[in-house]
Amino acid sequence: MKKSYWLVAMMLVLALFLAACGGDDSEEQSEEEGTEEDSSEEESTEEESEETEEESEEAAGDGPVQGGTLVYAIDSEPSGPLDINFYGSATEAEINQFVQEGFIEYDEEFNPIPHLAEWETEDEQVFNFKIQEGVKWHNGDELTVHDWVFALETLAHPDYTGPRWSNVQTVEGAVDFRNGDADEISGLNVISDYEIEITFDQPRVNNLINLWTYPMNQSHFEGIEVAEMEESPQAQTEIVGTGPFVMVNSSAGEYYELEKNPDYWQGEPNLDGLTVRVVANTSVIGALENEEIDMVPLHPTQGEEAGTLENVEVITYPGVSFYYVGFKLGVFDNDAKEIVEEKDKYANKQLRQALWHAIDREEWIDAFFGGYGKVLNAPIPTSHWIAADNSELNQYEYDPEKAKELLEEAGYVDVNDDGFVEDPDGNEFVVNFSHYDTGNPTFETRAQAIVQYWQDVGVNAELTMVEVSNYYDMIDNDDPAIEAYFAGWSVGADPDPTALWGSDQLWNQPRWNNEESDQLMADALDVDIVGGDDDKRLELYTEWQQLFNEEAPGLIITELEQVYAVNNRVGGLEYDVTGFNNAMNWYVTDGADK
Amino acid sequence: MLKYILRRLLGMIPMLLLISIVVFSLAMFMPGDPLSGEIDPTNTDPEYIEEMRERLGYNNPVHVQYWDWITNFLQGEFGKSTQYKVQVSELIQSRMLNTLFLGITSIIITYIFAFIMGMTAGRRPYTKLDHLIGAFNYFGLAVPNYIAGVVIIYFFSFKLGWIPFSGSHEIGLEPGTLEYWISRFHHVLAPALVLGALSTASYTQFLRNDIIESSRKDFVRTARAKGTSESKIYNSHILRNSVIPLITFLGFDIVTIVNGALITEAIFTYPGIGTLFLGSVQNRDYAVLMTLTMFFSLLVLLGNLVADILYGIVDPRIRLD
Repeated sequence: MKKSYWLVAMMLVLALFLAACGGDDSEEQSEEEGTEEDSSEEESTEEESEETEEESEEAAGDGPVQGGTLVYAIDSEPSGPLDINFYGSATEAEINQFVQEGFIEYDEEFNPIPHLAEWETEDEQVFNFKIQEGVKWHNGDELTVHDWVFALETLAHPDYTGPRWSNVQTVEGAVDFRNGDADEISGLNVISDYEIEITFDQPRVNNLINLWTYPMNQSHFEGIEVAEMEESPQAQTEIVGTGPFVMVNSSAGEYYELEKNPDYWQGEPNLDGLTVRVVANTSVIGALENEEIDMVPLHPTQGEEAGTLENVEVITYPGVSFYYVGFKLGVFDNDAKEIVEEKDKYANKQLRQALWHAIDREEWIDAFFGGYGKVLNAPIPTSHWIAADNSELNQYEYDPEKAKELLEEAGYVDVNDDGFVEDPDGNEFVVNFSHYDTGNPTFETRAQAIVQYWQDVGVNAELTMVEVSNYYDMIDNDDPAIEAYFAGWSVGADPDPTALWGSDQLWNQPRWNNEESDQLMADALDVDIVGGDDDKRLELYTEWQQLFNEEAPGLIITELEQVYAVNNRVGGLEYDVTGFNNAMNWYVTDGADK
Repeated sequence: MLKYILRRLLGMIPMLLLISIVVFSLAMFMPGDPLSGEIDPTNTDPEYIEEMRERLGYNNPVHVQYWDWITNFLQGEFGKSTQYKVQVSELIQSRMLNTLFLGITSIIITYIFAFIMGMTAGRRPYTKLDHLIGAFNYFGLAVPNYIAGVVIIYFFSFKLGWIPFSGSHEIGLEPGTLEYWISRFHHVLAPALVLGALSTASYTQFLRNDIIESSRKDFVRTARAKGTSESKIYNSHILRNSVIPLITFLGFDIVTIVNGALITEAIFTYPGIGTLFLGSVQNRDYAVLMTLTMFFSLLVLLGNLVADILYGIVDPRIRLD
């Protein structure tokens, strides 16, 4: 009997241990990749892209091939509801992107563009939307603005537990609706089946991109309480949309079978079907080689191996996530929403700049991300329309001498000849650097590399690996154990950096308290100052990025690229920072044979 | 016997309560909760996370949380998965068939291999063949499942193309048809082999040692003296005696069949209880994690009981009362 008691305890411990191992498997290769073959990698990618160009020209002659099935692979199992109104993680979006679509889309600079709907606004507060007439849902219903109202009222319902309430919150009357003081959201004014006027609680330049612009089919969810919607099969797997593909069949955690929507409002898709298949990370390369899968998002460290396959092309497009090294400059009070205490260990601007100059970011990206990243100097991904031009920012090139100079200017000199600098008061100075630990061995190596760069310019540093699920809580709570830390963010279409860097924000993790920064961010959103003028906003945001770049509350390391492996038989792909083009245009060259 | 079984069953209640406390504490000791970890600011905001913590009761004192959980649990309400957003019972149900299928296949493979190898080795102890079998067994014990799985996929799926590398059945087959079941068997073969063939070592060695021991016993000598053929002696006289210790394993096999195989399932992308459990640990999906662990514990206890009872049945010298 005692044995079984232990078994249970052991099982949990073992599971934890194994979970860590699981992480290792997936990213085993990255270390080897580091130094050897970066240049050859680039060449091979170039060659391959030339090949595809030829191919697409060839195909352009005959037009895209009709028919066939494309297998799109993902390496982790989607969990939770697939429906776009309820989904929680990016893996689910990999599936619903083919089935469901929104009223607006984004161009390659993240400007909203009309899709199912066109809009007009004069004051950035009242928006008039006209939606496409005659668009059919997969279940035969016609798309009307009532589906949109239904979606917004579901999201604003007090029983709704998904993460989208913030996308409705700004609509006039939504708060009253949620609190039960109103039966409907007063800001939604349905004019006809195809026209709706949406009023926000106040004019903002980002009202439109913050708004939830996905419809929800009313008859599909008929008779289901909001509280039960997320667990209903209708939201879990049997999703309906208006998109180019229809969900026909699925086996949870294994595959999702989609069929083309012949009545798609933009035209009939080329492919007969599209299968989304879950493939373990360890099998991705083999499955690509054996033509079992046609398209798969890759971890940067797998890019090189996939590039050596003859039947596969590795494509990349700029991503919207970045990594940075932050320094705790203060302590935040989450109830009062303000920074209540300043910390002075890293308060010296020149010190931070020196540490930035000390890191050879190019080398680091090549070593740990297979080269699939770009050096970044401000916390806005370069493809975003508000990104400042590189010429306007200090590039923080790898320059150990400059770093040492800056340190000396700031008063950080080695007074006791131990090889490391002391702080201006002559006390020992050690940068306590933290990095999250998921069990992936490359994380410790890449963090250690940063520590090494700092030690090379004479700044002593120590690394602490922190269990990942605790890590971000510790950062958010300003745990004194975290001083300098490694973290990443990905940003969406909304250019506003306030949520990540405003002094009254929980997620301003370094606790950067800078009045000028707050002012610039507020001005860029202020309708009275910028109106609808994007140039004026760009100017303000550039100024803000310059300020960030100069003040260096965080050392921005890199923006990551999205890496995909695509079989050569796939055509019709176009991609930019917002992702791939509409899957209706994709085709497989041997589609007609099958 | 009945009294004994009842007594054991009653004894399980305090045991399970204790286990529930351990399971709960271990789950709570895990750093973080389902809402911590990497956050996507485009997808959520701090207020939402705070609100959900409040709603899910993570801000309550620990004893309140335990009480809420255990009272619901006893009423058969296992809660809702924070990750999958469905009832845990439903989730487990949907995965159980796959896991049972895998478990049973792997047990059958284990038995077949163990009997063949154990009998061969036991009949010809200390020969080259015996050593070969022994070497294979210890190799099987030493190679971790996740290595074996990856190697098998590499050779048999990608190089030879004999077996599928992932999933539980071919995409697009109608459930229930013959084709579907053949496909399922085809898909389960590789993971079952990894689980079964490589874990036969203990069975084989047990059987071998017992056969060697039995072959020196008096009744065997008598049989030989009477002129009974060697194959009859081994296949009926000795084997029947040597199987008895193996039967005690049967209780534990029940557990193996059901709890899935954490890593093997993950490597073969086989959607069963094992992958579910692994995911729930990674995502701190407490409801799933604790229900599964309680379920496994219950099975271990029942398995023990079954083993004890079987022991009494096959060997009347053992008295249970």
